[in-house]
Parts: sequence; structure tokens; C-alpha cells
Amino acid sequence: MLELQNLSKYFGGVRAVDSLSLKIEPGQIFGLIGPNGSGKSTTVNLITGLLGVTNGSIRLSGEEITRLPTHVRLSSGIARTFQNIRLFGQLTVWQNLWVAENSRAQRERTSFLARWLGGESGARARITKALEFSGLSHKANELAANLAFGEQRRLELARAMAAEPKLLLLDEPAAGMNAEEIGALDERIRQIRDSGITVLLIEHHMELIMAIADRIAVLNFGQKIAEGTPAEVQANPAVREAYLGTAETSTRGTA
Amino acid sequence: MTAVDLAQNTLDGLMVGASYALLAVGFTLIFGVMRRLNLAYGPTIMAGVYLGTAAFISLGAPTLVVLVVVIIGAALVGLYVERLCFRPFGEGARAASMVASFALWMQLEEAATHLLPQHMNPFPPLLATQPLEIGPLLLRADHLVMLAATLLIAGAVTYLLARTKLGLAIRAVIDQPRAAAIVGIHVERVMMLTFVLASAIGGVAGFLIAATDGQVTHMIGMWATTKGLVAMMLGGLGSVKGAIAGGLLLGILEAHAQWFLGPQVRDMVAWGLLFVLLAFWPGGLMGAKALDRTMAVGRRV
Repeated sequence: MLELQNLSKYFGGVRAVDSLSLKIEPGQIFGLIGPNGSGKSTTVNLITGLLGVTNGSIRLSGEEITRLPTHVRLSSGIARTFQNIRLFGQLTVWQNLWVAENSRAQRERTSFLARWLGGESGARARITKALEFSGLSHKANELAANLAFGEQRRLELARAMAAEPKLLLLDEPAAGMNAEEIGALDERIRQIRDSGITVLLIEHHMELIMAIADRIAVLNFGQKIAEGTPAEVQANPAVREAYLGTAETSTRGTA
Repeated sequence: MTAVDLAQNTLDGLMVGASYALLAVGFTLIFGVMRRLNLAYGPTIMAGVYLGTAAFISLGAPTLVVLVVVIIGAALVGLYVERLCFRPFGEGARAASMVASFALWMQLEEAATHLLPQHMNPFPPLLATQPLEIGPLLLRADHLVMLAATLLIAGAVTYLLARTKLGLAIRAVIDQPRAAAIVGIHVERVMMLTFVLASAIGGVAGFLIAATDGQVTHMIGMWATTKGLVAMMLGGLGSVKGAIAGGLLLGILEAHAQWFLGPQVRDMVAWGLLFVLLAFWPGGLMGAKALDRTMAVGRRV
């Protein structure tokens, strides 16, 4: 589904992502973990094209997408959510999803003006369904900026799903959620996977990621230090060191 | 001074203010999507008006054709400004875009004086009828057309932004450019379309202003930038409703100032107002957090 080959991103002298190679099989929930600043979000930004690649290549379903502009890449079947929610706050909940429907229309290659000025008959039904799935039907005409935090997260997920992606990138979807909400999120991500969408999940919440990921890669200082099933990763000494080592340094720092 | 004078001033100001409002609507649309100031906005309009008046002088084009030439001319020059001043620089280089737009201002003025070397050029009048009398008040028919056109365009822009997919895409880009790209919006193209649309709206304003004057000089460029800028600031950066309110208010303020203090004070009102706004009230009428203008823009339009 997604293949990264020797992917690198340097910011000046800092190697935010350093020769990262990953292969994500279709239908997987693939977890990407690592200490803060290890390059997880940068990786997602490279995959979505929000950042330019320094070196290496990105392939989606065998197709080279490394240099494609973001909107083209996204309409070829990638969708994402952001760590810090980025909804269109001044649009209503319904309008947020309607705008996202464009991504699909683009894949169908209708002309630019037709895409923007015309309404699509199927869109309404799909949006209604997406709202039901997210439990936001009663808030359809509310401004996105006025939603509660948990609702905003659900809407952002629904907006990503509205593009009917093949690959969904979730950047810390559980951040700021309570246990109950995380339980619901766990359920929702599984449903998404079962509907045939491949998921790349970045998460700090270990319990969640260990429970649902089929496979996990661990980053530290931009490099992949381990990859395997959740059990393999947990048993890996390099991973323990990366996490514990960080903890030790910070303890010393405060002492 | 009588109540009739006051009413007459207000009425005159409202009519002139309509043209300011149109200028401000275009200005605010460009500022909204680009988050950068386009100083060449007025000169873009001037270029369109000059092309129109050149068609009028050399080919004897009828008024309606001149209108079309002005609108298309302004839109094309707007595209040129966007390509040269805005497309090459990211949002991180706002100053570069602004300085570049200043350079294009100079270039466009130079080009205009080469096209029509005379300082003053004739422009086809809109309606050459006698002023209408409404009780004791006088009302110019072409001013009425200006007000009607403004309301029509303002309504159309509001509809576009509120109801159409393109309008929603424009607002999505204003709100969250990165997320807009993520949902598949071609952000650069939306920016370009908005820019061209705003320039065309400016073209309509320029046509109406030149037609009610019956003549035009290249000073209309600077005039349009300053009046549009003050009206936009008065209404609140990035707000279409604010731009209309700001334009009308500026027109009314100027008309009263001219009546009470003399014609030479008229333009000083605009400049003074700009200073006061920048210094004390950067959020303008549609009130927003004064210092967080980018956020403010995000929430409005």
C-alpha cells in the first residue's frame, strides 16, 4: 500500500527523518511510535506532501508520489487528521464535510468549475452517513469552531473519511481524550480498518496502539530502531533503551 | 446648515461610499486568501480603466464595451500581479510580496502614461440625465446606478461565499490553508481565482468611478488603493460585510468633512482615519482582537 524508501528530511543540520524505509501492507493498522521529536509527525507531513522530501521516495500502491503536490496526492487516496486539530472553524460541521467531498470529485476528473459550482447528488447522502457514523448529526449546522474538543476530533476524522481514502494517517488521535473516548476511538479505528482502509497510526497512548496495531515501527532521532508486531517491539531492548534512556536523561536533568 | 444639508451630504456620501465599498470588498478578498497586502490593487484597476478609455478614445467603443474591456483588463492585470508578486513568495515572505506589489504599482503607472500620455483623459459617462429631485434632495442617476451595482455585487459575493462550493473552498483556504490542501483543494488555484475575481470587482468599481467623473487620470490607481485600504481597515480586515459598511461610512464621513471643512480636507479625512485605525483600532468595525489579525481574518469573511 505505502512504501517509503530511504526517506530523509533535513532541517538545516537536523536530520528530522533519516533514511527511513517502511512498508505498510494493505488492510493493516500500522503503528508509528517514538519519543517526542523522533520524526513521526514529520514523516506524516512528508507522506502528505506538506513538507518537501530531502531524499528518498514515497510510493502509494506502487505509484511514485514523492513530488506530487499535496492536493493531487490526497485525491489519489490519502487522507489524514492533524495532531493539533485543523478544522475549518468558520464553516459548519456539514460544510466541513462538503468541502472534503471535493477530493472525491477530483478523482472523478470533472472540470474545475463543475466541481466547484455544481452540487453533487450523491454527496448529501454520503455526508449524512458520515455524520451518523461520527454521532454528529444533531450538530450539522453548528460552526466547527463551536464544537467541544472530542466532537472536533470526531469531525476531523469524518472529514478525512469523506475523501474515501485508501490510506488514512492519524496523527495522535487520542491526544487529550479520556478513557471512555479512547475506547470509542479504538472501536472506530477497527471499523475503519475492517472497511478495507489501511491506517497509519501515530500515537503516544501505548495501551491503545499495542491493542490495535497489527505492526509497529519505532523511531528515535529520525531513524527506525525497531519494527515488528506489538509483542516483538515491546520485547526489543533498543526500544526499551530509547524510552528508558530518555527518561533517565530527563531525571538527571531535573536533579 | 440645515437638516436638508445634512441629509444631502449623507446621501452624497452614501453614493460615493458605494464605490469605496466595492474597492474594499476586492481588497479584503485578496487579503483574506493571501494574508498579504496587495498595494498594486488600485493600479490594477487603473490599468483596466486605462485600457477601457483607450478603447473609447481610439476606437470610439460604446459604454458597454468599455465596461467589458475594463473588467477583463483589470482581471488580466490582476492575474499578472498575482503571478509576479504573490505566487513566487510563500506566506512566510509577506514583506517581499508587499514590496513587489509596490514595484508593480510603479510599473503599471509608467505603462499607463505611455499608453495615454495626456494627464486627463475622457471617459464615457454612464447616464447624462438631469439629477433626480426627491423633495428637497438631489440625486444623480449615475450615483444610484453605482449604489445598485455595489449592492448587487456585494450580494453576489456573499452568496458565493456562503452557498457555493467555490465559496466554501475560498473560506476553507482562508481558514486553514494546509488542511484545505489535505482535503484535496488546489489551494494555489483557489487563491488565483479569488485574486482575479477581486480584481474584476475592482474593475467594476473603477469603471463606475471614472464614468461618474466623465474623465480619468492615472491618479485613480493610488486613489483606489488608499480609499479601498481605509474602507477595508474601517470595516475590519478580511470581512466582506465590514468592507461594505466601512466603504459607506468612509464616504459619508468624507462628504460631511467636505461640507463643514472644505474640499481640501476631504482626502485628509481618509488619511487621518487610516492613522487612527492603525494606531488605536486595528480590528475595525467588525471588532476582533486587535493584535491577532490573522486569527481575526480566519474567523470572518
